[in-house]
Amino acid sequence: MREILSIHVGQCGNQIADRYWRLLLREHGLTESGTLKDGNTSAAANANLEVFFHKVRDGKYIPRAILVDLEPGVIARIEGGDMAQLFDESCIIRKIPGAANNWARGYNVEGERIIDQIMNVIDAAVEKTKSLQGFLMTHSIGGGSGSGLGSLILERLRQAYPKKRIFTFSVVPSPLISDSAVEPYNAILTLQRILDNADAAVLLDNEALFRIAKSKLHRSPNYMDLNHIIALIMSSVTASLRFPGKLNTDLSEYVTNLVPFPGNHFLTASFAPMRAPGQEGQVRINFPDVARETFSQDNFTAAIDWTNGVYLSACALFRGDVKAKEVEENMAAIRKSLNFASYVPTGVKLGVAETAPEGFASSGLALVNHTGIAAVFERLITNFDIMFDNHAYTHWYENNGVSRDMMAHARNTIVNLAQSYRDAS
Amino acid sequence: MDTALERQIASASRSVEEARRLAYHDPVRVGALVEQISVLADLRQKEGDFRKAESLYREGLFRAQELRRQDPDLLTGIYSLLAHLYDRWGRMDKAAEFYELALNISADNGLEESDKVATIKNNLAMIFKQLRNFEKAEGYYCEALETFQRIDGEQSSRVASVYNNLGVLYYSSMDVDRAQAMHERALSIRQNLNDGQMDPADLSQTFINLGAVYKAAGDFQKAEACVDRAKRIRAAMNGYHPNPRRSASLLIDKSL
Repeated sequence: MREILSIHVGQCGNQIADRYWRLLLREHGLTESGTLKDGNTSAAANANLEVFFHKVRDGKYIPRAILVDLEPGVIARIEGGDMAQLFDESCIIRKIPGAANNWARGYNVEGERIIDQIMNVIDAAVEKTKSLQGFLMTHSIGGGSGSGLGSLILERLRQAYPKKRIFTFSVVPSPLISDSAVEPYNAILTLQRILDNADAAVLLDNEALFRIAKSKLHRSPNYMDLNHIIALIMSSVTASLRFPGKLNTDLSEYVTNLVPFPGNHFLTASFAPMRAPGQEGQVRINFPDVARETFSQDNFTAAIDWTNGVYLSACALFRGDVKAKEVEENMAAIRKSLNFASYVPTGVKLGVAETAPEGFASSGLALVNHTGIAAVFERLITNFDIMFDNHAYTHWYENNGVSRDMMAHARNTIVNLAQSYRDAS
Repeated sequence: MDTALERQIASASRSVEEARRLAYHDPVRVGALVEQISVLADLRQKEGDFRKAESLYREGLFRAQELRRQDPDLLTGIYSLLAHLYDRWGRMDKAAEFYELALNISADNGLEESDKVATIKNNLAMIFKQLRNFEKAEGYYCEALETFQRIDGEQSSRVASVYNNLGVLYYSSMDVDRAQAMHERALSIRQNLNDGQMDPADLSQTFINLGAVYKAAGDFQKAEACVDRAKRIRAAMNGYHPNPRRSASLLIDKSL
């Protein structure tokens, strides 16, 4: 069994966890407390259940998940809700003080005191696996806990498990909607750690998610809707590990196919057909439409500069009632329409899993590595520079052990990263 | 791989998890959690996984610091366990730092007179000796010696051990006369201990150390006699050790 351990850090990471595990429970026919639903005898749904769940004695399944937050709010809501019995309490770590939106507090001050506990819990969870495939981390990179503590966890994970795959699902600050003034600092400092320590990072932009949700749901979306989109993407990325299919894809295969140059492992994703929760499956759309929507530019979850960039690589994973032949025919046409780098002559990596997400007849997921992602970095760097050059807010970081030199170094690393993407066009 | 050790680790891991669950709901249980954590850390150290052992001890330390009523005895214990780990790991600077933290806590809480603190001082002195800081090493050995003399009396094995350690320190700083004096004192105590405290391994070690000192002083006949005595004692032990699980860091000097 090739297990995957999910680590959810900070407010945003845990809100995603809430939606994500709900979705997995439904896909695998489990109740909110982790027991098999009555009449669930579907062998197909449960053949690979142990990738994400750990079975305990009384037939109950416990998620292989670790919830970490520096403030108790979100985790308390999960525990107070219908999934109260689901998670293992020894895998929930919450501390009171909070990171105060400050990367340095999450990384140095609070992180220092809690990281060992987190690593011990991770070690214990890893020991329960037979052959761990890797880690998934969900966090936001603009706040304090998800960014600072998330960075520290990434560093320590890489040291402790150098050969395991680390995937992050990182929510990036939006160009227009901003939660806090210091987001660019937090984001740049975190991106540097993701660059150094993760194998692949799927960047998710709240504004892009908001736009997608609004246009597809035909109403004003809330954070639950945005997190639901993220959960659908995460569930599809891992679908072929969990369900049987003709073209299986695992984390290592994704990395091999999606990362043409070391360090250029920042991806963006798209999920189709996008429907509001509850409306799924009302319209049974045909496969060519699903494939087209999957690769439609306005369906991707980060603000990518599509005009000044090329595709470095792409993966597509289709789920549900789709035929391999149909996939190949349609993808050949789509492949021609995508603007690939001249030195990437081969096709799109394809995967097919038999089971669609709950409520869907079929679905598509695209994970792409596009050089236009440099725009995301450049935007953050511009905002970073405006504040940094005027010494605005930097004292909060210096007081917590992050010098201006460290910040400047992180900034330069991300400038080089953006440039390497531009050069690859 | 030692399967018995693996089983012990698996069972200690389960106990830690259970303690974590209890402590999650009831902060009063943190003390019990810290105890379970240090059991697991000790096993991890035996297994040779220093990273995991360090992580566990550090978790124990921060959890113990969270307690509303902090227990200085517990904190001193964890600091010295961490220091011992760093010592075994070869990270001497860290070991010295944590032993000193342990000493500070016990000093702040009026616990200097305990044998635990004297043991920490003895261990710290060993680390300073390895770091070639002979003055600090001598200072801590002397403090440890005074405490053991007060608690156990002059004729005790722990006092003899510190004399032995001081002798080794003087020897390695080329002060042969004082080294000889220390080893002779250690010998006179160790030869006259009652059966319960008598340890032939320690005694033979003293003869070997003394032999080295006589040799350095040019007295080769005495040196040979000492080494012979040591060999005879070792042979009589026949591989058997009366008390193998003693506090190793106090008695065994790694520089020998």
